[in-house]
Amino acid sequence: MKLPISIKLAIRNVFRNKIRTLITLAAIAFGSVSIIIAGGFFEDTFMQMREAVIHSHLGHIQIYAEGYNDHGSSAPFDYLIEDPDSVIQKIAPLDHVKLVTPRISFSGMISTGDNTVSVFCQGVDPEGESILNKIETIKDAETGLAIQEGLNLTKEDKFDVILGRGLAKNLDAKPGDSLVLLTNTVEGSLNAFDMNVKGIFFTASKEFDDRALMLPISMAQKLIRTQGAQTLVVLLDHTRNTALVKEVILKTIQTMDVKLEIRTWNQLADFYNKTVELYGRQFFILKFIITIIVILSIFNTINMAIWERTREIGTIMAMGYKKIDIMKLFLAEGFILGFLGGIAGIAIGTMLAWIISFFGIPMPPPPGATVGWTAFIKVVPDLLLTSMTISVIASLLSSFYPAFKASNLIITDALRHY
Amino acid sequence: MKPVVKTEQVSKIFLLGKTKVQALSDISIEVFEGEFLAIAGPSGSGKTTLLNLIGCIDQPTKGTIRIDDETVTGLSSNRLADIRLAKLSFIFQTFNLIPVLSAYENVEYPLLKMIKNKNERSRRVRDSLKNVGLEKYMKHRPDELSGGQRQRVAIARALVTKPRIILADEPTANLDQKTGEDVLNIMKNINEDQNTLFIFSTHDPKVMQMASRIIRITDGRVADYNHFDRRTGEKKLFSSEYIIRNKGRRDLDR
Repeated sequence: MKLPISIKLAIRNVFRNKIRTLITLAAIAFGSVSIIIAGGFFEDTFMQMREAVIHSHLGHIQIYAEGYNDHGSSAPFDYLIEDPDSVIQKIAPLDHVKLVTPRISFSGMISTGDNTVSVFCQGVDPEGESILNKIETIKDAETGLAIQEGLNLTKEDKFDVILGRGLAKNLDAKPGDSLVLLTNTVEGSLNAFDMNVKGIFFTASKEFDDRALMLPISMAQKLIRTQGAQTLVVLLDHTRNTALVKEVILKTIQTMDVKLEIRTWNQLADFYNKTVELYGRQFFILKFIITIIVILSIFNTINMAIWERTREIGTIMAMGYKKIDIMKLFLAEGFILGFLGGIAGIAIGTMLAWIISFFGIPMPPPPGATVGWTAFIKVVPDLLLTSMTISVIASLLSSFYPAFKASNLIITDALRHY
Repeated sequence: MKPVVKTEQVSKIFLLGKTKVQALSDISIEVFEGEFLAIAGPSGSGKTTLLNLIGCIDQPTKGTIRIDDETVTGLSSNRLADIRLAKLSFIFQTFNLIPVLSAYENVEYPLLKMIKNKNERSRRVRDSLKNVGLEKYMKHRPDELSGGQRQRVAIARALVTKPRIILADEPTANLDQKTGEDVLNIMKNINEDQNTLFIFSTHDPKVMQMASRIIRITDGRVADYNHFDRRTGEKKLFSSEYIIRNKGRRDLDR
């Protein structure tokens, strides 16, 4: 390969000045490693949080009767999918779809005899929910919904409920207790069932755990006297397929008689979106600071190098090398240092990420959550690209002034330099 | 015979802070092809400044310098670099080899800009190193070479571009007597074999003896013009008074 002379000379200079090169590379690699580790930490946090949100209740895509999202909160029973099974039969066979499970939500009152509180009831298909709750894509991840005491719902259950941890504490209820669940039916009359507390659950969302109660959807439908469901939760094989499947589902529901609308998890996960935005900003600031540090240290090293090499510069200019040649030479050295530093950073960063992930970092519960978690460092290609780009650009930027200074040395002064 | 280098009323003033220092005043000299010219004078007399001006790495405050009839004063730095690359080479008192490069690489450095063909370059570098008797030391770095060997590498580097003029600023000042003589002999041999024009500065009388002509400079002025008659091969010593007395008889500087 024919490399320009400036690059060839720069490569030679970089490799011959070992100590200086090592010091500069250490600075660049340090910056690059910091970006990879910090970025990998955020990446992993985002992913765990995303999967937790998806698997605890959102699913990847939700299907509703048209108008539910705009008006459903004031009149939830006005926007029911009357024949959920026929929709499920159309959606379930689609590519990447793992599960379609119906839900019906309503508010009600429960009473233990001593205590009466208002609750958010969710009628679910126990089998479907248990599939939804399993997080298979993350190593060592817990399920999206965990049982703290007692047992989870199964498909044989009838008059059984599970209570959110906060709600159970509030009611002072424990598995085996019986309570009365009172609610409005679809037509507006009152209906009440005696239910058994089968278990106590918790999810990633404390808010949800403080108010929620789950019961088998068949019982919920009987209680509020309907055949319909409000929400069909679609679970996919992988989160990255969400956009793709969304389009397919949109096309599919357009062919149906019932009018439906859909939402994807990222439209629904408000808390997740805000957290990502917040952390994303923090990470940006961190990247910015690291870039400045890298620029300063490379600047310093290259500036020192030019000081040390003043006489060399004078000599080669006396030979007939032009200002632009000197400029190119030092920029090329900066580029090569940035590139090598970036490579070293990627190698060390990836290795360090692997070691840290091997042990994991125990984390306290995030705001609004009840359980702590173990953080890992997730290295994604984007992150490696970012760290590489920052290394190279920072090096080039910080070589620019020293290179300019070197190319503008007065030859006779440079030759006299000791 | 046309001079290779001709300076006309060249003056150089340096600014040291607010003080003006007159380094050279009205220097007019001619240098001819094949000369082995010594510019002699005590330190601070302006020898190096004159070499720098002829070498196109500095510009005079006043006056003009011509190399091969081309005026080199007032040219752009790029044009000057081209002239240096094509016609001039330097040998420094402190050798100025690049410490991280081998002897071969040091000699090759100026050629990288001139000759793209690697084999041709390699041939030239080897020839040049052979000329100074260092063909066995090609792979040695400067710190593995003695002072004399280093200066010979520097000579090889100066020679490799086949310049019109080699400028040597006190080339033997950092060497002991014997080594200095050896280095000078190498320079002299090249001068005789290849007819390369050498202009070197020195304050060592022994070195001056080897010159074909000596121009003495004191306080930035030409004090003595030691002429070498090319037709008879005879060396003549002229004092400045003599030159002034005989003004008009010969076309002499000053």
